[in-house]
Amino acid sequence: MNHTPLEDQVHDSLHRTAAPLERAPFTVGDVRTRARQIQRRRTAAAGAAVAAVLAIAVPVGLSTVGPAQRSEVPPATQPPTPQLATGTVLVDPRSADTVDRAPVPLMDVDGPSLITPDGTIDLPKVYDTLTPYRDGWLGVAVNDAPDLPFAVIEVLDADLEVVGGGSATGGLAVRPDGQRVAWSEYDGERWQVVLADTSGGAEPVRTAFPPAPESHRVEPVGFVSEDEVAVRQFDDTLRTATYVVGSGRPVEVPGLLQAESSSPASGVVAGLSRITRQESCSAVVGASAPAGGTAWETCDHRLGAFSPSGAYVVGLDPESDGNGSPTVTVLDAATGEEVVTFEAVLPPRTVGGFWTQMAWEGDEALVVRMWQREDYHVMRLGLDGTVRRIDIPGAGVSGLSVAVPG
Amino acid sequence: MTATLVVMGSRERRADKDADFSAYMSARQAALYRTAYLLAGDHATAEDLLQNAFAKLYLSWDKVRDREALDGYVRRIMVNENNSLWRRAWKRREHSTDTMPETGVVDTYDDGMGGVLWSFVQTLPPKQRSVIVLRYYEQLSEAEIAETLGISVGTVKSQASRALAALRARAPRSLDSGGDTR
Repeated sequence: MNHTPLEDQVHDSLHRTAAPLERAPFTVGDVRTRARQIQRRRTAAAGAAVAAVLAIAVPVGLSTVGPAQRSEVPPATQPPTPQLATGTVLVDPRSADTVDRAPVPLMDVDGPSLITPDGTIDLPKVYDTLTPYRDGWLGVAVNDAPDLPFAVIEVLDADLEVVGGGSATGGLAVRPDGQRVAWSEYDGERWQVVLADTSGGAEPVRTAFPPAPESHRVEPVGFVSEDEVAVRQFDDTLRTATYVVGSGRPVEVPGLLQAESSSPASGVVAGLSRITRQESCSAVVGASAPAGGTAWETCDHRLGAFSPSGAYVVGLDPESDGNGSPTVTVLDAATGEEVVTFEAVLPPRTVGGFWTQMAWEGDEALVVRMWQREDYHVMRLGLDGTVRRIDIPGAGVSGLSVAVPG
Repeated sequence: MTATLVVMGSRERRADKDADFSAYMSARQAALYRTAYLLAGDHATAEDLLQNAFAKLYLSWDKVRDREALDGYVRRIMVNENNSLWRRAWKRREHSTDTMPETGVVDTYDDGMGGVLWSFVQTLPPKQRSVIVLRYYEQLSEAEIAETLGISVGTVKSQASRALAALRARAPRSLDSGGDTR
């Protein structure tokens, strides 16, 4: 057992980590080039309402302009596309064909506005998530102000006026058919998960967690059946626990360090399962009662969103970080086998990749946000191997964000 | 003629600026890169942070009168840019701040704990990690850290305290148990 004061150990650890680094990776010319880019960006941003650059998400259930057209959402049982590419598909925004219509909703943070396949809706402020609800919308409003919750649940009317909500939230999730929504909220003493019909037809079902501080945030991950949602809860021991919430008490789902996504079609949850010094691994586990049981595990991918039918699941580079992932692999959700991999083409010495935030367009394509240093592109990656750049201009420097399952 | 003279003067000033900036960059790039790496945790992001900070310094070179404060200026840009990247990552559901990596071996302080601690530092929330790097690597005072991060000294203290508590909660387990993973 080591009795050296922790502060000294941290000091030594940082110095030992940094000491071997003798890097001077760029020249004054490189810096001047970057400075010119910054100057151009500042000029472009002048006069534009530049909101905080936040990753904005819209649940996949939102594929319509207004709440009334909710029924157009494709059913969760939509069959997989029959034509599938294999191997690796290179994604180069510069050479890709373009389309001028978004197949899934996009968020323009700088507008702020919501761009749907059928039109653009100006928003009164920036929302992290927005979905049709009753006669209006349900949204997660975000703010950076200190001493305020980072995210607040808001009920909006059809004119986007706030008519309810106001509690701190860990986010919301929408069933792929758009008919059910789940969100978490903190009531001052404990976290609760609320399950509701988006039509407002039935009384919302509330499930309370044991009393806990707000920092023990409960975040909906996604639906695992018609009426059950998987959530994850953080605590002060830096662990997360996964629960399934329905009409009774929360039921813990073992097997994951941190849940990331779920599929109501197949009743499973995916997430990180193991982290060692050498690798991080992800697994798909059963969520239905009796909960638990690992279907399969991979240390080659970090798992993301399931396709609406549950046939496919996204696999990202396990080392993906704040810079995103250099590849996006579509995996067979039943077995974990690779179907097709999309690889970002990046110029030399350029930081970039795919943001881990992405949306499925049915079971046929992924819509992803790709970035190369300071350039952002929204790309449609077809499972048939087609690559398209979605050519919709944003209002400011932040670019457009794609939808993500709630 | 006058116009030509003005242009030449501008060029000379630009040349002087470039020479001064180049000298500063040559002298400090490697050291500041280490700080960038500790903040970012990977080389690609570290390069991006540092190049971005140098570029902003270059643009502001004529306004920074106190040449002794240049490192602080670069550090401030890097720290805030890094925290901003983390904010953007919030919705990307990475939350690596909340999951500690496990170690696969029993470490001792001299031949392994440093690496384990570094892996734990990488999982701290961004502000806590910034405070730890500035305090225990850059060895800045609490007041200097507060100025760099644009927060109060009290917040610096609380962030440092939480970070150390998180590290302390985890580190002894790595020493005591040889379990592979949880």
